[in-house]
Amino acid sequence: MVQLNLPENSKVKTGKYFKDKTGSKNIRKVNVYRWDPSTGENPRIDTYEVDMDNCPSKVLDVLNKIKNEIDPTLAYRRSCAHGVCGSCAMNMGGKNGLACTTPHAEIDGDLDIYPLPHLKVKRDLIGDLDGLYKQYESIEPWLKSNSKSETSEIYQSKEDRAKLDGAYECIMCACCSTSCPSYWWNGDKYLGPAVLLQAYRWIVDSRDEERKARLKKVADELKLYRCHTILNCTNACPKGLNPAKAIAEIKKMLATTNV
Amino acid sequence: MENNSPLSPHLQIYRWHISSLVSISHRITGIINFVALILICIWTAMLLLGEANYSSIEYFLSSIFGKFIVLGLSWSFSFQILSEIRHLIMDMGYGFELKTTRISGLLVIFGSIFLTIIIFVIGKNLI
Repeated sequence: MVQLNLPENSKVKTGKYFKDKTGSKNIRKVNVYRWDPSTGENPRIDTYEVDMDNCPSKVLDVLNKIKNEIDPTLAYRRSCAHGVCGSCAMNMGGKNGLACTTPHAEIDGDLDIYPLPHLKVKRDLIGDLDGLYKQYESIEPWLKSNSKSETSEIYQSKEDRAKLDGAYECIMCACCSTSCPSYWWNGDKYLGPAVLLQAYRWIVDSRDEERKARLKKVADELKLYRCHTILNCTNACPKGLNPAKAIAEIKKMLATTNV
Repeated sequence: MENNSPLSPHLQIYRWHISSLVSISHRITGIINFVALILICIWTAMLLLGEANYSSIEYFLSSIFGKFIVLGLSWSFSFQILSEIRHLIMDMGYGFELKTTRISGLLVIFGSIFLTIIIFVIGKNLI
């Protein structure tokens, strides 16, 4: 049965309040989800008053500012800061995205920052994505070719290459999968938009020779058909990709081919 | 320690948008319609059993609560049909661009209200 409420140990409490010390007139309240594994306490929301006059434009800049100038105990993942690595995926203003590409000016009111939804929290804004990576591994995301020669290249026409556009750009940041209510309730079985988009990427690759086996593998009520086109995934994708459409295309292929 | 990890908030914090609203409403109206169809079957069966039943149902349906139920069902049926058409088109692989999904979602919401009004007008013999 679907559990709509958070379990008892996950209920969020009000945390500390960090008052502004710079005396700035341009203050923004930033509410950040905090959880410290060493204390055994429930997660809490800490509120920081941030001086926006001396803060660059993205949400990641706000977090860096908090960590560098206000509270060094804050933990979050980040690396490239250019929307390429996918590390800083989190929930900002009620929507998943990359902190490094989301302008804080686009979020109205107080800036609420949570980890990606419905994940086991490791600490503060860091969620546990192991389940998703295992699922990614399960679709065998590599080229499978039976061709004997390993030295000559496999040709691909421009048209066939174009089929991969919109699928190969995925950076596996998990914004889409963790935005999906179906994935929240059935994340153990349903593959979720990120992994299904990658499954699609290998199914449509003209160089791959295991198309039917791949289709057969995802043709499962729970793995694939838990998608009910809620479209949270497409709305969340920071790279502007369309996992919902890819899932619909897989469903269509299964309906029209004999696997 | 790992087992003690909290679950990050999900439904509590995620912002609604048109497509998710239409999707959840589709489910809810689906359940309502399922129950309503059973009730309608019982209602028609009761009609067969005699005039006394007919007048008591008539009495119920002309009460304010009864009218609310009838109008509500007209809306939930209208919504379900339009939303189902939207899903059908999506199942064919069309209409997945973000802008299109918003427009089609709004069409479903306002279309269902419009259809309800049409059903009301026709039912009242106003045209």
